[in-house]
Amino acid sequence: MRPRKIDDTATPREPLKNIKTILICEDEPALRELVRASLNGGYRFAEASDGFVALRLAQELTPDAVILDLMLPGLSGLDVLAGLREDERLRHTRVLVVTAWSETREDIVAAGADDFLPKPFEPDVLKAKLESLLAES
Amino acid sequence: MSVSRLRTGRLSLQERLVAGSVLLAIVVAAAFVILILSLATLREATRQEAQSRDVTAEALMLQKLVLDVETSLRGYVITGQKSFLEPYDAATKELPDRYSELDRLVADEPAQRRRAILLIAAIRTYISDFVEPVLAFGAGGLAAARSATDIEGTRRIDGIRKRFDNFLEAEDVLVASRAESADEGSKLAIALGVSGLAASAGFILLFALYLARSIARPVREAASGAAQLAGGDLSMRLHEGGPGEVGDLTRAFNEMAERLQVALGDLEEQNAKLRDSDRMKSELVNTVSHELRTPLAGVLGFTSLLLSRDFDGETRRHYLGVVDAQARRLTELIDKFLDVRRIEEGRFARVEEVVDIAPLLKEEAQLYGAQSGNHRLELDVPSEPLPVRGDPDGLRQVIGNLLSNAIKYSPEGGVVELAAELDGDSVRIVVRDQGMGIPAPQQPRIFTKFFRGDVATSGISGTGLGLAVSRDIVESHGGRIGFTSAEGEGSTFWLELPEANGATSDQENDVKERKKGET
Repeated sequence: MRPRKIDDTATPREPLKNIKTILICEDEPALRELVRASLNGGYRFAEASDGFVALRLAQELTPDAVILDLMLPGLSGLDVLAGLREDERLRHTRVLVVTAWSETREDIVAAGADDFLPKPFEPDVLKAKLESLLAES
Repeated sequence: MSVSRLRTGRLSLQERLVAGSVLLAIVVAAAFVILILSLATLREATRQEAQSRDVTAEALMLQKLVLDVETSLRGYVITGQKSFLEPYDAATKELPDRYSELDRLVADEPAQRRRAILLIAAIRTYISDFVEPVLAFGAGGLAAARSATDIEGTRRIDGIRKRFDNFLEAEDVLVASRAESADEGSKLAIALGVSGLAASAGFILLFALYLARSIARPVREAASGAAQLAGGDLSMRLHEGGPGEVGDLTRAFNEMAERLQVALGDLEEQNAKLRDSDRMKSELVNTVSHELRTPLAGVLGFTSLLLSRDFDGETRRHYLGVVDAQARRLTELIDKFLDVRRIEEGRFARVEEVVDIAPLLKEEAQLYGAQSGNHRLELDVPSEPLPVRGDPDGLRQVIGNLLSNAIKYSPEGGVVELAAELDGDSVRIVVRDQGMGIPAPQQPRIFTKFFRGDVATSGISGTGLGLAVSRDIVESHGGRIGFTSAEGEGSTFWLELPEANGATSDQENDVKERKKGET
């Protein structure tokens, strides 16, 4: 009901410290699985299905990137985003907003996101965007 | 409003105007009548004064004739010549006319008439008892007649002259009193005329003032009220009252304003409803697009993966299963969105079902109890069901927020108590901790979005949204949320939700079943 699992899918040949942690905030389990499958392994994943859990996990884990749905139960995605940007340690965490809402990219970037991907999305595009975000940091 | 109600027990304006005009006419007519009467009195006094002068003149004329008689007699007696008797003959011819004329003139003055009659009688006696015998006697011996004329004639004439003096004196007194009364009459006539005209003028002025007060002013107020109404101030009302039709006008005016205001209120209400319904429609469009895009993203995403990458058979089958489930969910969503009634009832986003909150509390206690090693979570929930009507996910979120806060803000550890009970016709839930508590100055603001007070700088993470969201959820369920707290001694948060009446109905069971099918 309230997923809070650390899914370590890192491949054994990479050293553990180089593996990046990605927090997936998405209330639909199928889409969380789609994100994981799209990124094709190589990351450590944490998942949250509501905004409160998402914020708490982010504060506990300080992930390298957050993939954030805007329409979350509890705290909305924008509230989570605001919460992240308020937190000293999470201020520079890369945030990729994946949303079905029709907000423009400008609005979402203005709210503090680093990039934006509308639903439905191409798995390869998601992978490429996340990689480029992580490369910038 | 019926006309009869407007008119009850009051004179109409028209009736008042007619009555006022009639009264005015009576006052003016009375003033003129008094004036005319006074003038008539004055005229009568003047006429009497003139008559008095005539009386005096007549008396003087009579006196002259008597003197003519006496002089003529004396001349004849002394000289013995017949020619001296000519004035006597003329006087005796004229005397009867003079008598009757004088008698006529003094006819309306009894005292004076008595004097006149006595005077006339004295003259007649003088002529018949003295003058005529002397003349008859004189034909025989003038010497005897002469002595008689000297002594007896003088005595008699003196008596007559005295009577004349009396008569004229009385007539003078009469003239003086008549002149005085004529003078008084004229003064009275002037006074009455002036005061009558002044009263008329005053009455006209009062009538004009009354008209201005009772008609012109209310009409002017009605006009400015109408301008105010036209300007959009529908709350304005005239002072009701005024005579007859003016009162009708102000009452009708106020009723019109009242109806306009009510009609405008209705219109605004309808507008608000329309706006609400517009807003709901656009929210619905957003929600539908979001709800559809999520499963669509699953279908397209996994299809794309399956097309572009190689997976082993088991993974492929699993992904195809996800695609299948998402596609089915799309179909169900479309069915759901087509249920127009949900839009009309205005509770599109609200899940309404009867929830037993007891097991829900147990689940949340387990979940949060496992999160912290140094807190002990004590659960005190009765064995009977605690039914409330609402959205189980929302209620779960509220309990989760309160438990999470209780743990978060008691960093030293300790007991966190979660209790629930049926209290009257509501379900009361209490979360109590032994933590840091909330400083009194910050207590009024803790339900404000993003407000965190001192804890913002204490290293305890949080967003300041949990309580705000919780209050929204509780209030949308018709409940209340509150707390008591003292700094350093912990906080107790409570919430009350109305108890759902009766057991879960079949229909609601159906809803539950459908929901299970959806997820």
